[in-house]
Amino acid sequence: MNRFALAQPRSFAEAATVLADKRFSLPVLKGGGIDLVDHIKEGLTEPDVVVNIRRVRMDGVAPGSASITENNGTIQIEATTTLTDIVDSPLIRERAPVLAQAMEHAASLQVRNVATLAGNLLQRPRCWYYRHSQTECLKKGGSRCFAVEGENKYHAIFGDGPCHIVHPSNMAPALTVCQGVVHTTGSAKREIPLSELYHMPDKGVHSENNLQPGEIVTHITCTTAPKSGFYAVKEKQSFDWPLVTAYVVLEIEGTRITSARVCAGAVAPIPWVLPNVGAALRGVSVDDDGGLRKACAVAVEGAKPMSDNAYKLRLLPVAIRRAVLIAAGRPEETEVAS
Amino acid sequence: MRDSTPTDMPTTNRPANAGCSVNDDTSRLDGPAKVSGRAKYGRDMYLKDALYIGFVRCPYGAAVLKSADTDAAKAVPGVVEVDVDAGRQGKYHGHKLGQVVAESPLAVKRALRALKCQWDKKPVKTGIADTVTELPEPSAKTAEHFKSAELTLEAVYTTPVQPHSCLETHGGAVEWTDEKAIAYASTQGTSAARDGLDQHLDRPQSEIEVVCEYIGGGFGSKLGGPGKELQAAASAAGKHKRSAYMFDTRSEDQTDTGMRPSSQTLARVAFKKDGTILGGEIRTWGGVGIAGGGGGCHVPSGRYRLGIRKGRDGHTDVSFNGGGPMPARAPSFPQGAFAEELMIDEIAAMCDMDPLTLKKKLASEDVYREMMDMGAKMIGWHDRRPTGSQKGVVRIGYGLGTASWHGVGPGGSAEVAIHPDGSVEARSGTQDPGTGTRTVLGISAASGLGVPLSVVTVRIGHSNLPRGPGSGGSQVTGTIAPTMMNAAEHAKEQLLTIVARAAGAGDSVKEFDVKDGVITRNGKPHLDWKQACQKLPPEGIVAKNHGEIDPGEGNNQGVQFVKLSVDSETGVVRPLHVVAIQSCGRVIFRKGAESQIIGSVIQGMSNALFERQVFDRNIGTVLNDNLEAYKILGPYDMPRIEPVLWTQGQTGVRGIGEPPIVATSGAVACAIFNAVGRPVRDLPMTPDRILAAMAAPAKGGAHS
Repeated sequence: MNRFALAQPRSFAEAATVLADKRFSLPVLKGGGIDLVDHIKEGLTEPDVVVNIRRVRMDGVAPGSASITENNGTIQIEATTTLTDIVDSPLIRERAPVLAQAMEHAASLQVRNVATLAGNLLQRPRCWYYRHSQTECLKKGGSRCFAVEGENKYHAIFGDGPCHIVHPSNMAPALTVCQGVVHTTGSAKREIPLSELYHMPDKGVHSENNLQPGEIVTHITCTTAPKSGFYAVKEKQSFDWPLVTAYVVLEIEGTRITSARVCAGAVAPIPWVLPNVGAALRGVSVDDDGGLRKACAVAVEGAKPMSDNAYKLRLLPVAIRRAVLIAAGRPEETEVAS
Repeated sequence: MRDSTPTDMPTTNRPANAGCSVNDDTSRLDGPAKVSGRAKYGRDMYLKDALYIGFVRCPYGAAVLKSADTDAAKAVPGVVEVDVDAGRQGKYHGHKLGQVVAESPLAVKRALRALKCQWDKKPVKTGIADTVTELPEPSAKTAEHFKSAELTLEAVYTTPVQPHSCLETHGGAVEWTDEKAIAYASTQGTSAARDGLDQHLDRPQSEIEVVCEYIGGGFGSKLGGPGKELQAAASAAGKHKRSAYMFDTRSEDQTDTGMRPSSQTLARVAFKKDGTILGGEIRTWGGVGIAGGGGGCHVPSGRYRLGIRKGRDGHTDVSFNGGGPMPARAPSFPQGAFAEELMIDEIAAMCDMDPLTLKKKLASEDVYREMMDMGAKMIGWHDRRPTGSQKGVVRIGYGLGTASWHGVGPGGSAEVAIHPDGSVEARSGTQDPGTGTRTVLGISAASGLGVPLSVVTVRIGHSNLPRGPGSGGSQVTGTIAPTMMNAAEHAKEQLLTIVARAAGAGDSVKEFDVKDGVITRNGKPHLDWKQACQKLPPEGIVAKNHGEIDPGEGNNQGVQFVKLSVDSETGVVRPLHVVAIQSCGRVIFRKGAESQIIGSVIQGMSNALFERQVFDRNIGTVLNDNLEAYKILGPYDMPRIEPVLWTQGQTGVRGIGEPPIVATSGAVACAIFNAVGRPVRDLPMTPDRILAAMAAPAKGGAHS
């Protein structure tokens, strides 16, 4: 670890000033610091200034006021809201349950207590080649993706490379199906739909998102989604990265699905939006198991599994169907008492 | 230890067959120190003005060091020494090829990076399958059996490399003073860790002490003399006449501190439709990394009468580009049990038999049958559905596995000191790697003296104490508990002789005894403990025993039952309930013994479901050299675990550290087979493998 300066700005404007300060060559924003500390320890990043925005709130909000609010059907969550605050929020649990469900079993309670919403969206991939200081993979300026001929069990089944990571955020696909928008300040003041926040590796491998240097996320807005659901398939139920995740927002009349937005996680380098599944689900009754299975099966269209991850093709339709049933308020019973 | 069954001991509140223990209620003596952080481990010993050492290690499975910028490393402020040369050959990820010595951990890290090592990568082998590409032909006899038998099974079972993953990494810190050198080691053998240190320190043995008050896990990987980390710290201390510190990073600990070797078992079995085994063969391979040997796969185990022998050339160790093996909790036993238990269940399924029926028929000793009857009741075996018969999304599986372990002989020294103020010390140079040894020794001394445990201070983990056993082979409790108890009984006799003389009854010492801290005469209270001890000479009493006491008869047996659910659409396994029955002779420290069983089940379940060292097949780098991607059971994954201490008809004392891990992974494999109707023959049994097994066409007989 090299020496770095620690900046403790009181506002995003102050943070932006530090990011723009030419004395520093590699400023890094720190939310909860979970991913940043991992990177520093492994020697993957060497910031010369760490800008700690963990406690920074949006301009104009009263200290101690809620960081999650709803106004006319639009939910607003401040960037530095912790994952635990999202899980525990009655507003989120009632108005956009998919956001709370996605975080409920993510990482561990200790991590969720300090990790922030923006940090979760902007965390780097967990690919074990990227994380290993000794492999010069594409993302680190090397010439190849080691997963292609190596150990790719946990890698992507969608996309043409050249890098085959899966996006690690559970929040990003959840906000995608809630039509989330990222609001930024600093070097650019923008409103970026979640669906445009990330890019595929063929558009650049050194970063996963489209933010500019010096751009800071202040808050996220999204629509309410009372009929929404999340399902994750994990090898291990405690503190594990999922094999496949599914996120669904439904509109239902009676038992018939009239509209569905579907996204998948852990299958592609970005949150993987599945409009084809959404279209296939329209008109299907949530009581029609065969119809649901048929609609969810189209999720794997266009998938290109690698040598060791074709099993994800089996998991993806299952995860989506279960998320649909959760969104519809009739979860499939898969837990057994001892 | 008396050689008769004690009858005055409290009975445990566990199931009826569980017997009695010397102490039912005591919790770990070092519990408060450990959970409060007061306990100082070797790794915590950041000594004043110490030097720190870091190893230059090969990051690939096979590579030659092309260049290293030693000038740049030496130029890092605080660097004292850089020892690495181009041309050195790394043969596995983690292979030590040099080192740097510096004034701080940060300077070490910076120097290692400043080296900017360049490597010339070589082709690698990362497992048994890279060498053993074809199975050997069946023997003529097996071929003959296969021709005539009603049913046959040919199957290959594999288990992966599993690092010990100790929470405290391997290493040692050496405190250098003019008078002596104190090595704070993380070791399973405090006494053995001093052996040879004199040469590294360049000081006489009389000036060297080894201290190991607490250890954060060992599981076999911290056995033997000083490890390479402590050796490096001692050499640096001796050379520079300064304190020195070397503990592995997490990555180093996962790659270069010994492994449970991988294994492959080939079973060819010919049998009749009623489950009668006619003959066949079993061959095994051990994946030993860069070592030439040290693998093993204990099958056939002898717990079943299979009528199949492995033969003299039945096991082959196979080298590849990985770290070498170290003993790992019941070395070679769980690997073999996984293959054997699943193999028998596959035979039972092909015969349309309940595997419990077949296993009871094949069991080599009655005690297994008795344990199976008890465990079947406790797990609810009558609810088990025939293998492969379930059609629902979530399928429940039941399985059982067996365990055995060898008994121990006498060994280890211990002494008990009674001071004139009534305080007692129980001393032995053994150590407590979380196994409960400290508490076992306290209970043994208190029990031998007849005093409450609160009077006793246990002193362990110091090379100045009477030489104690290494924490391996499940031998510590079996050797040192009777030894300590005997020393305490001798101390008591000496005390009672003095008390009797003081009472003018020197010829009637037998009338005196100690019970619950009170001296009695003919069963009536005579003196309290403190009053009695005031009669001692100023130096008090010290009584020793040098391991003359035989801990008692026989081997350990165990049976475990597992109930779990498998989600047939995702392959996700949820362990629900484990009943773990284990014989261990007379129980000294009940909570500790149960904790050993529970810990074994957790580790065995992790072996079954998650654990696997992942090598990149092309460059040989270990990709999960951390405790995030190297997976072990977490809180949400825990089943209900019911330990049962089986003490029926047993009087000796035996260790319980290893035997309970033997049965678990095999029992889990059988339960998964029962649930989904297809065997998963490779550990770990992860969702992708379970889905693949379920999708495979049914082979052979009546699997469903």
